[in-house]
Amino acid sequence: MSVGAILCSLVVVSARNPVVSVLSLLGSFVCLAVIYLLAGFQFMAAAQLLVYAGAIMVLFLFVIMLLNLGNSAEESGPLDRALLRARRMPVVLAIGAAVFLLTLFGIETQQTVMAADPELVERGVSSLSGLAELMFSTYLLPFEAASVLLLAATIAVIVLAKRGRTQLVADTRTEVTP
Amino acid sequence: MSMILIWLLITVACYGAVIGTAALMTFAERKVSAAMQYRYGPNRVGPFGLLQPLADGVKFIFKEEVIPAGANPWIFKLAPILTALPAMLAIAVIPFTGVIGTFEGTEVLGSIANPEIGILYVLAVTGVGVYGAILGGWASNSKYSLLGGLRASAQMVSYELSLILAVLAVVATTGSLNLHEIVAGQSGWFGWNVFSQPLAFVLFLVCSYAETNRHPFDFAECEPELVGGFHTEYSSMKFAMFFIGEYTAMVVMACLTTTLFFGGYLVPFWADAPWWMGLIAFGAKTSFFLLLFIWVRWTLPRFRYDQLMHLGWKVLFPLALINIFVTGLVISFGPGAN
Repeated sequence: MSVGAILCSLVVVSARNPVVSVLSLLGSFVCLAVIYLLAGFQFMAAAQLLVYAGAIMVLFLFVIMLLNLGNSAEESGPLDRALLRARRMPVVLAIGAAVFLLTLFGIETQQTVMAADPELVERGVSSLSGLAELMFSTYLLPFEAASVLLLAATIAVIVLAKRGRTQLVADTRTEVTP
Repeated sequence: MSMILIWLLITVACYGAVIGTAALMTFAERKVSAAMQYRYGPNRVGPFGLLQPLADGVKFIFKEEVIPAGANPWIFKLAPILTALPAMLAIAVIPFTGVIGTFEGTEVLGSIANPEIGILYVLAVTGVGVYGAILGGWASNSKYSLLGGLRASAQMVSYELSLILAVLAVVATTGSLNLHEIVAGQSGWFGWNVFSQPLAFVLFLVCSYAETNRHPFDFAECEPELVGGFHTEYSSMKFAMFFIGEYTAMVVMACLTTTLFFGGYLVPFWADAPWWMGLIAFGAKTSFFLLLFIWVRWTLPRFRYDQLMHLGWKVLFPLALINIFVTGLVISFGPGAN
């Protein structure tokens, strides 16, 4: 499954068609969900599918289709394309290495957390009630902070969208009046 | 060894029942619509035309398969599979009946699998179903298909929210995500969730019609405007796959309505009914909701698209939120609170 996830992620960055990229990202998410499931985290797996695969990727797909990006690489010649790829390669590698290191770091921390608090494993992060109990007692502050952050992001998006629209209206008015 | 045999039997029985019902629904759809319009409907193949779905299936298999020029062949082929697969996956956790018996120390339940997160699993896999429509519409390289796919995705994403919130209210009253426990929580006089959560039931029903792309929300197809919507360019068995997916999703939704709001396999006024009575009760309740699907389709006109979005975001979504809020209040401070 992890091999599948890695293959899918490789296709995400290498595919020339943006829709194919989105689809392979979806595949990688599904692989991740299965990994969660194999590790015993049923709720995490379902949430992964429900939120990422079911909602967020649909929005991605939606936007890409509406923007009609097309195949950007097809317009240039094969030599240009190869050059472009060669130029992108270090960036991609750097990001990949960073993500890899972060993941290693994450696994390390998780193991230390698990080792430090055997009760955590015992009470069962895998079961839903155990997870909810932890989330609303020990980790209440981070949870609330994350929700406030998300709320702030939502409000910011609304404000930005509104400003864009009022400016548009103002522009059309100035065009009409003279 | 024989435990595996029993599991196999249950799996085959469940899938056979649901897909068989889905096939019969295509027949029932035509027969009921005919009755409502004072026509005969299909009556040539078999007794009362009952074998019509088989004849349709054979015809689909022998039809020529056309992939339009300029279509993306891989995604074009993937889309029908993605439509049919989620509905098929969701069948696995539906509780058709209670405990059938004890075998080698293990209780045999009337469902293929019984995970702790049952209802979340159903929501997760059916949520993936939108890809079939959106990818089918995009890969066909046709403007009607693309419009159909876009409409389908926008609609399904909007209504999925209200659907999940409606289910959440039921989960809150039951205190479990497990479908068998949700059913068990509805026993007794007026124990069905439809009595304690009438608003959630109405929301769920409306949203399930939108989720399955049925009338009055069938904007993905919308014959007068978009020819056939996202499956305009499909032919032969791929077209049939879309239909199988759609009808299986309908059966799954009817099963879910029964399970969540109408006591599932519980027989009214008979607390310790045998498991086969539960199966009959479940079948009867589900059949009613399947009939309702057809009934609504041939009675109501289609919405306009902006009306659909208005209804989804400005009526159903706030109602669902208020419902959750009130449910939470009653659970925390109501008569049963501790």
